[in-house]
Amino acid sequence: MPLLQVRDLFKSYFLHGKRIDVLRGVSLDIESGELVSLVGASGSGKSTLLHVLGMLDAPAAGQILFQGASLFELSEAAIADFRNRTIGFVFQSHYLLPEFTALENVAMPALIQRSDRAEALRYARELLERVELEARMDHRPGELSGGEAQRVALARALVLRPALLFADEPTGNLDPATGEGIHRLLREVNRDLGITAIVVTHNEALASSMPRRLRLFGGQVFPA
Amino acid sequence: MNAPVIAERHTAYRWGFLWAGGLIALFGAVLLATAFGKAGASAHAAAELALVAFGWGPLVSLLRAIAVALAPGRGDLAGFSPLFVAGAGFWAIAWGLIALGIRRSASGGEQASEAHGAALYPPLARYADFYWGTLLAYGGGILVSELVLVLLHTALIGGMGFGPTPRNGGAAQWGITHGMLRASPVSAFAISLLVAFAVAFAAGFAGASRARRLSVPEATVGIFYFGLPIPIGLTLLSSSSALQLRFGYRLREITYLASLIGRPELGYWLVFLGLSLMMILGITAGFVATGSGKVDLRAGFELFVARRHAAVFRPRLLLGLLVVLMLGIVPPLIIYAMMRAAEAAVERTRIRALGMSDPLKASEALDKLRTEEHSPTAMMTALSVGGVGVGVMALIIVLSVMSGFEIDLQQKILGTNAHIMVSKYSDSFTEYPEVTEKIRKVKGVLGTTPFVLGEVMVTTDKDNGGGLVVKGIDPTTVGDVTDLKKNILPGGSLDNLRHPENISSRRLIGEGVGASPISTSRTGGRQTDSEEEGVIERAQSSGSERVLPGIIIGAEMQSKLRVGVGDRVNMVSPLAGELGPQGPMPKSRPFRVAGIFYSGMYEYDLKFAYIELHEAQKFFNLPGITGIDIKVADIDDARRIAGAILDELDGYPYRAKDWGEMNRNLFSALALEKLVMGIILTIIVVVAAGLIIATVIMLVLEKRKEISVLKALGVPNGGIVKIFLAEGLQIGFAGGLLGLFAGVAWCLFIDKVGIKLDPQVYYIPQLPVRLEPVQTAISVVIAILVTYLASVYPAFKASQVEPVEGLKSE
Repeated sequence: MPLLQVRDLFKSYFLHGKRIDVLRGVSLDIESGELVSLVGASGSGKSTLLHVLGMLDAPAAGQILFQGASLFELSEAAIADFRNRTIGFVFQSHYLLPEFTALENVAMPALIQRSDRAEALRYARELLERVELEARMDHRPGELSGGEAQRVALARALVLRPALLFADEPTGNLDPATGEGIHRLLREVNRDLGITAIVVTHNEALASSMPRRLRLFGGQVFPA
Repeated sequence: MNAPVIAERHTAYRWGFLWAGGLIALFGAVLLATAFGKAGASAHAAAELALVAFGWGPLVSLLRAIAVALAPGRGDLAGFSPLFVAGAGFWAIAWGLIALGIRRSASGGEQASEAHGAALYPPLARYADFYWGTLLAYGGGILVSELVLVLLHTALIGGMGFGPTPRNGGAAQWGITHGMLRASPVSAFAISLLVAFAVAFAAGFAGASRARRLSVPEATVGIFYFGLPIPIGLTLLSSSSALQLRFGYRLREITYLASLIGRPELGYWLVFLGLSLMMILGITAGFVATGSGKVDLRAGFELFVARRHAAVFRPRLLLGLLVVLMLGIVPPLIIYAMMRAAEAAVERTRIRALGMSDPLKASEALDKLRTEEHSPTAMMTALSVGGVGVGVMALIIVLSVMSGFEIDLQQKILGTNAHIMVSKYSDSFTEYPEVTEKIRKVKGVLGTTPFVLGEVMVTTDKDNGGGLVVKGIDPTTVGDVTDLKKNILPGGSLDNLRHPENISSRRLIGEGVGASPISTSRTGGRQTDSEEEGVIERAQSSGSERVLPGIIIGAEMQSKLRVGVGDRVNMVSPLAGELGPQGPMPKSRPFRVAGIFYSGMYEYDLKFAYIELHEAQKFFNLPGITGIDIKVADIDDARRIAGAILDELDGYPYRAKDWGEMNRNLFSALALEKLVMGIILTIIVVVAAGLIIATVIMLVLEKRKEISVLKALGVPNGGIVKIFLAEGLQIGFAGGLLGLFAGVAWCLFIDKVGIKLDPQVYYIPQLPVRLEPVQTAISVVIAILVTYLASVYPAFKASQVEPVEGLKSE
């Protein structure tokens, strides 16, 4: 069974009394362990689709099945739990919490679960080592460079070993060299930890380096 | 695609008409209310209006009609019931059919969208029902809590238990027995109130934890529909005779309790407000606790986040605020401004020096100086803490000073008057030795003394006089009950009443000619000022004067009559004399001033005088006494002991009044004053709460992005609410503690160091202050509660931020 099954997603925006149909019947299947890139023109709705898949936004109609179970039937609290445990999200801006150190930021998903504090911080540190940021672990996000912050965000997304990793233009704000580093990390994570990843990107070069490519056009998803 | 144009319907408002109509309606309503008031029918009108407003009018009329119909002896009862049942049945079926007959049909409608037929997103399908179960929980909760309060209070006071009462032996009477749990009004009320609060809280909690959303409509309807009838009924109880007849006796303990504060209505509505607040607390707690799915009261993570967001417990901030509270705002601000200016000056000098040699380092230092400015939310947080602190401090100080005055007054009153007075409904109370014996058997009684009371006039040979209430006392036992013995000034003595031959007329010239009240120490010991010690004694041998019975008058009456110890006064009673040719002749007897007493209360010192009991009986032609004064060990328990004494004496024809009842007007006026003062000062706290709402809203706005991120990371709605509630509560706790500290410190200062008062005006040398633990604790609790309520709205708004909203704005 595919890990993630999406059926007939519809989502619209309402601007100045006008309805803008962004997703018009999106359907796709994602198998476990896949590394998928999602491309499309600017404004085509890639971020929207990713937000809906990541349970951050609500569609008007449609179904998302995770391991066969419908996600929209879940209660509010169960959805929050799903976001915590099963999904890791990396945004275009790092969205780290500014009043906490890098280490605390990485550990945040575990702390939300109320797991043991020391254990959470220990594992967070391990992850930071993996992304080669151990030296900056006590720094606040304001003191980190763009690439460093994005790596911290990636570590945060991985701390609970989620089944799904969504990345929304993770290198959009970074220079090519730093961006390449992030891409390499994504591929490593997918290969070594077997995490299913969907990466939205503008970058056609990066997209073509991924095993599976999807294109969002006219509100629907096609293989690219 | 030619989509049909759907005509839109607009509502146009003509504001001129609306305003004019509204104002004229208001004016008309005022006139109507006045009209009803003049006719004495305002209560009736209000009751009818309440029925209409709630839509119960028809229902009540119907019930009344049914009651009339079912009243025995009225018409054909046997024929009524089946007809009534049948008629009601048909009526119900008919309306059911009519309801079924009205259905909404599918409209011709707009063009279907592409999504037509797709599986609808479930939360959209479930949108916004009215949950009847929640309504029942909230409405039933507040109603039950009110009933619990009324019933429990009545039960606790009356004592619990079935059993024949001593008077109507045989028939069981609920509640009026020698209860084991007979409690004083205040403690009964406290217990009942706490239980009622718990019920309201639990109902709110239960309702909210089962509901899927905040359920504001259900809460509003529930609290108003189910919670208002009882307070409205109690308020109208005093003015509506119908209600009075049905419920007045059963609710007498409630009305007595409410009258203790002077205006009963205030009490009813304050209690209603309290119960509603407890229910709201329960609702928010229920939502927060279960917003995470199951009942989850853990808040470790949320506190962790909240403490980072709104760092309130910083030593420098708290210390600074404490100094502001203690010394007022201006001095610390001046000092702070000076300190900051000095710091800035030093730093700028350093930068300039640096700039001469190392431009980069200088610009780095300048940048650091600029970015050290605190964010606006930090300042708002500090202001909020300060605001709450000021409110709490003001509440504590003012209420403690008022308590001080109250205690002082109470001591003066209870020093002169008895705690309990036993009297008889008839004219002849001769059996007082036996009654005294019985009274002494009641637990808690410390002393008893008999007395005779009458109203007289006194005149002196200087042709002045005044009216008095004269009390015939037993000099041996009166000291057990009142402070009269202590209050007698040097030169006179209580003993002189027993041995009037000892009264020596030594006139102290310092007194008598417009003497001012002698200043006293706070503990009540009497000392003459050293200036008035100049005494010229004109000793007269007591043998040359007639021995007259003694009378002790008050210091104010003394200065009015200009007499001294040993002088002669005439006591005149218009009614006690014999019958003369023109009706009763005034009776006049000479007395000799045996002593002057000073109690510290102007009225007592002016109005009262004391003579020996038997002399009083002779003067007023009374075979017995007027009553027995009693002193008890615990004055707060006096009402209960009075009830016990009455039981011991088998009730009628005796009656026992406690000091609260006898001085009810005065003490209820004081209690009302304190309550109103407390309410007014609470307004300070409410204003601070407004500031807190603003602060937390700003925090929420500042952190929209972070809320979205936290939600994306998996924090549930309940968790977000907890975070911002924690931030608000931090402010409340910090402010409350600061206010408590500052308030207690000021009270101790007033107590130990003292603020002088003019003794001639206030009868008290310095500002009295009495720190009462319960009152002080309630002040802090109120502040924290108000803070909590203030944070509820912003916290809930924060939880409703969808994850995408904060993320998209970037």
